[in-house]
Amino acid sequence: MTARKIAKKHIADLLNEWRQGFNVFVPSRDEGVAKWARWDGGDAEFLEWYRNTVVPPKALFFPPLEEMFSFHKDGDGYRVEQPPPAEERWLIFGIRPCDARALAVLDLNFKEGYEDLYYLKRRENGVLVGLGCTRPYESCFCTSLGIGPTDAADVDLMLTDIGAYFLVEAVTDRGEELLGKTSLVHAATGADEARAEEARKAAGARVTRKIDSQGISEKLRASFEDKGFWERVSAKCISCGICTFLCPTCYCFDISDELVKRHGARFRSWDSCAFSLYTKMPMENPRREKWRRLRQKVCHKYEFYPDSFDVIACTGCGRCIRLCPVNWDITWVLSSLPVQKQVGLET
Amino acid sequence: MALTDCLPMKSRVMEQRLRREAEALLEQGKVDWIIGFEAGSLRFTTTPLITDDKDDTKRLVVSPFANNNLSVYLTGIKGRVAIVAKGCDSRSIVSLIQDGKVARQDVVIIGVPCSGIIDLAKVEGLVGRDRDEIDDIVREGDKVSITFSGDKREYPAGEVLFDNCLACELPTPQEYDILLGEPTAARGDEEKTKSREKINSLEGVKPDERWAFWRNEFSRCIRCYACRNVCPACFCERCFVEEAEPPWVLPIPRWQDNLVFQVTRNIHVAGRCTDCGECDRACPVRIPLRSLAREMYDIVGGLFSYRAGTDKEVPPLLTCYEPTDVEDFIR
Repeated sequence: MTARKIAKKHIADLLNEWRQGFNVFVPSRDEGVAKWARWDGGDAEFLEWYRNTVVPPKALFFPPLEEMFSFHKDGDGYRVEQPPPAEERWLIFGIRPCDARALAVLDLNFKEGYEDLYYLKRRENGVLVGLGCTRPYESCFCTSLGIGPTDAADVDLMLTDIGAYFLVEAVTDRGEELLGKTSLVHAATGADEARAEEARKAAGARVTRKIDSQGISEKLRASFEDKGFWERVSAKCISCGICTFLCPTCYCFDISDELVKRHGARFRSWDSCAFSLYTKMPMENPRREKWRRLRQKVCHKYEFYPDSFDVIACTGCGRCIRLCPVNWDITWVLSSLPVQKQVGLET
Repeated sequence: MALTDCLPMKSRVMEQRLRREAEALLEQGKVDWIIGFEAGSLRFTTTPLITDDKDDTKRLVVSPFANNNLSVYLTGIKGRVAIVAKGCDSRSIVSLIQDGKVARQDVVIIGVPCSGIIDLAKVEGLVGRDRDEIDDIVREGDKVSITFSGDKREYPAGEVLFDNCLACELPTPQEYDILLGEPTAARGDEEKTKSREKINSLEGVKPDERWAFWRNEFSRCIRCYACRNVCPACFCERCFVEEAEPPWVLPIPRWQDNLVFQVTRNIHVAGRCTDCGECDRACPVRIPLRSLAREMYDIVGGLFSYRAGTDKEVPPLLTCYEPTDVEDFIR
């Protein structure tokens, strides 16, 4: 498929065209906090400041809070009502490759682990337009997990910054369809493609934080019982939910019912294995001490998920590092794992 | 870049002394643990260092970026502890002593006279760059120079310090075992006034506008509980928000529940909050929580002439009453 290009100054026009057929979501700022919001038809000023959002795009597919159904007392019984259907067709503009990969990682749990109809419906209706990173954060380490900051693998349409233009590549048929009707996109030249290639290399080189992900599952397995190690690396963790809630691949949720007089609803909301009350409702939290909970978080991403689905459930987006109030750094923990040390049984 | 490079000589002398004192305390068996700061993994950050290994004391730092209130770790640690404390942190320790959560004899307070902590969000706002795109930030006396893209600019320190630092009444720990330097003075009245601007503007608007403001702010809350978990005054083993029978509020991020959670939390920590600013700093979605916390702090000061954590001998404010109280509801 030949590559095409679009002038940056035409992005707002393109979004307006797409708005005819989709609910379009773009990066936006609420009191300085970058998040996803419905495109309001203004100018595409987010192109100036956008690096990545604080709340990851997983929140669009797996919201922090959603009503699963409502129930109403009706005579002796209850009448159950489904909530109104999610967005009909929607388009996420500007998703970063790390976050797009994260959705592919979440798909495995929500599709293969079990069929989560709420998530899958939104996924089916959503089109992803990726935007390659040119300014990764110092906390980013995607390249250590086999992802490039300009990778097109997990989106429908990919944009790469080549100066006054974006190089545009349709990755899937849905992506190709997006370009079908617009006159804003033109054929790219060989020079444009060369510039895009340079931009990709430069972006990759800007990701300077590294981990060695080779054999990491095995190392974790070997250190599982090393209580001293886990106590040491969890000492400063304050057990808040930032690193799990804002992780683009964490998917734990809690369920709550609310009944007011004759009407009620069942909600699901994000939950975190960092919390001491995690899984308390169905039974007990088997991980009473902080070091066990933190070990669970690291092992789930780098050992258990690979065991189940053959992929590491971390895409190196760096949110857990840059948003942690005590600078707990997962790359520091992974790089200090004890190597093949003989350890005693957990006590 | 080592954090130490950002330090003026006075701080470097404090840092050397801190390392010596901490090592000696462990070596002589006077404490089991040291809680201090070491260089963080991101630019212009520090991170808590909690260790029982005397070799680790070489990593301790004194830094204008050391924002955490380390006293939050005291209730979770067994044994005797030496802890690095700025003015506000030492007051939190005293408050924990008043509440019977920490025994004075089990803690060695290594006091750091504080000149205020640099607020990176303010720095970002001043220079229009994200923190990881800034080359250097150096505090020299009451000036801070910031270098980015080869350009070095100087600002008065008052423009980049946290609001709670500008408002701080007691920057030098009053309760300590070791004091690492000469006492520092509180900021001037002008800066104190400036630090309250956000709160004053909220007080000045009509109630429905204020309600709309907080509704918008709490709509962003994701209920990660970072504000609660970094707070030394939030020492409950089980928070009211996690009670299921009866459920006071639902554990779901709905703005009304979020607001009830935060307002109740503020009432629970009234008379314990030392305005250390940690709740505000920890919030990943930047809800201006200090506006609530400081307002409560000032209400406590106005109603009871009480300043949290300044006298370890008195009972916690909300656990006692005076028969001579002008209010008669207690009689």
